[in-house]
Amino acid sequence: MLRILLINDTPKKVGRLKAALIEAGFEVIDESGLTIDLPERVEAIRPDVILIDTESPSRDVMEQVVLVSRDQPRPIVMFTDEHDPGVMRQAIQSGVSAYIVEGIHAQRLQPILDVAMARFESDQALRAQLQARDAQLAERKRIELAKGLLMKMKSCNEEEAYTLMRRQAMSRQQKLLQVAEQIIAMHDMLGS
Amino acid sequence: MSEHINSRIDTQAWAAGSDTPEKRVLNLGFMALTDAASVIVAATQGFAEKYGLTINLQRQASWASLRDKLLSGELDAAHSLYGLIYGVQLGLGGAPATDMAVLMGLNQNGQSINLSHALQFAGVTTSDALNLRAHQKGARLTFAQTLPTGTHAMWLYYWLASQGIHPLEDVDSVVVPPPQMVAHLKARRIDGFCAGEPWCAQAVDENLGFTLATTQSIWPDHPEKVLGCTRAFVEQHPNTARALVMAVLEASRFIDENEENKRSTAKFLSGSDYVDAPLSAIQPRFLGQYQDGLGHAWLDPHPLRFHADGAVNMPYISDGMWFMTQFRRWGLLRDDPDYQGIARQVQQLDLYRQAAEALNIRVPAEQRSATLLDGKTWDGSDPVGYARSFTLHALADSDAVAL
Repeated sequence: MLRILLINDTPKKVGRLKAALIEAGFEVIDESGLTIDLPERVEAIRPDVILIDTESPSRDVMEQVVLVSRDQPRPIVMFTDEHDPGVMRQAIQSGVSAYIVEGIHAQRLQPILDVAMARFESDQALRAQLQARDAQLAERKRIELAKGLLMKMKSCNEEEAYTLMRRQAMSRQQKLLQVAEQIIAMHDMLGS
Repeated sequence: MSEHINSRIDTQAWAAGSDTPEKRVLNLGFMALTDAASVIVAATQGFAEKYGLTINLQRQASWASLRDKLLSGELDAAHSLYGLIYGVQLGLGGAPATDMAVLMGLNQNGQSINLSHALQFAGVTTSDALNLRAHQKGARLTFAQTLPTGTHAMWLYYWLASQGIHPLEDVDSVVVPPPQMVAHLKARRIDGFCAGEPWCAQAVDENLGFTLATTQSIWPDHPEKVLGCTRAFVEQHPNTARALVMAVLEASRFIDENEENKRSTAKFLSGSDYVDAPLSAIQPRFLGQYQDGLGHAWLDPHPLRFHADGAVNMPYISDGMWFMTQFRRWGLLRDDPDYQGIARQVQQLDLYRQAAEALNIRVPAEQRSATLLDGKTWDGSDPVGYARSFTLHALADSDAVAL
């Protein structure tokens, strides 16, 4: 039976995942609040598979586990199925990263990944959506318009106008577009 | 001015024919560090749009996650540790060996090595005292860095070794993501760390530790973060990659132009979408104003810098090779790699030259020379010999015995 170490240190809930893995017949040890102790814990628990949220800060600690274990009889490697790179990509996109003891067959890992990918709470909705190209073009036009207005108002050149807008934006923790909109709005108000 | 630049590009007659970006909307990863400033400013302050690009910034929780997303294509390019790009290129660590690219340097200087308040109380406030403490019997000191192949591991190891402390034998070394360093120091789980800002300044501000050495004291104007991506990305999107370098070059130039621009950049970075830390922890060191927590204050002659007329941004062949010499020195590489050959593949010199020349930015020589704090000079001429020239090392092959 494969022994799974489930690392639980991000807001994602692993409760259902743990139950589902146990139901599927795996031995599951779950660890929370782990960070720098992880290398020692992995050494003590000797899991066959380690599952971790892709967004977990402890991913960097796992890097150390991978390097330190490379001379051991059972080295820990990140799961990267060379026959099917799509699987790793899909797993990362669903927020699951898996580390396995080298030698464990990818086929044995597949059911674990299937459960994990289905049960890790997906935060797809939070992921930044690609902006449409039209929006980008519109943004550029608004910035150009504001720059032109500012050049007239301040009797300055293009570079000076950009610098003024950028300083204003960053000092107020805004994007350039926001300042451009403010300049346009102000101009509309004063002009009409 | 944009017309002016476009006409300049046209006259360059790019090998690919048209210079239109192949991909216009880019996902760009970064870690919450002040040295990510140029990519953040390029993405938000109208620099990318000028070149027909829209950059979606994506803050990452760990370097490993940033790397995996670069490899999976979820990120197109990222603010990366020099050593992360070379670690992946050489297959060191969790990811399969993959051909990588350094598009440009993002910054030099501005990291530091810090010790805990407890060590300060115990009188360990100098390198000599630390050397004594590290060689005492009893509890070993634990130092944190940010990735086994990362720049901070290499600065920490280099500095400790220069003080007679073997980083792999005399102390324990652990990995902690930069934004968590302060919490670990507070919880007394580490005795010291090497990381970027503002996390070192924050440790000092919160009275949890002090700065023992800046990384610019190890190597003045050392390479640090780069704009990295996979080789496949550059090959498939050369025009996008060039446009991205131009946008980030312009943002770098803007930040370094004067103190007022630096101050507004610092203010912007402190926002919750970016570095998410108090301005008081970000601004002083961003302007080169240091205080170490032991009562010393100074204006650093080699502060964090983003441009310096292009001296910062050149992807020097010798910079890339230096990280490989240190991987070799500390046993991460078991054999000598083809230093020159690999660096020439990774560092995207041609692309960088095209971008810099189009912006009238000076392109320095491919190799540069520096004398580090142990008195050794690195000029890229003999990487094999240089990697073997250190008294303290962990060379892992049979040649090491002969030393």
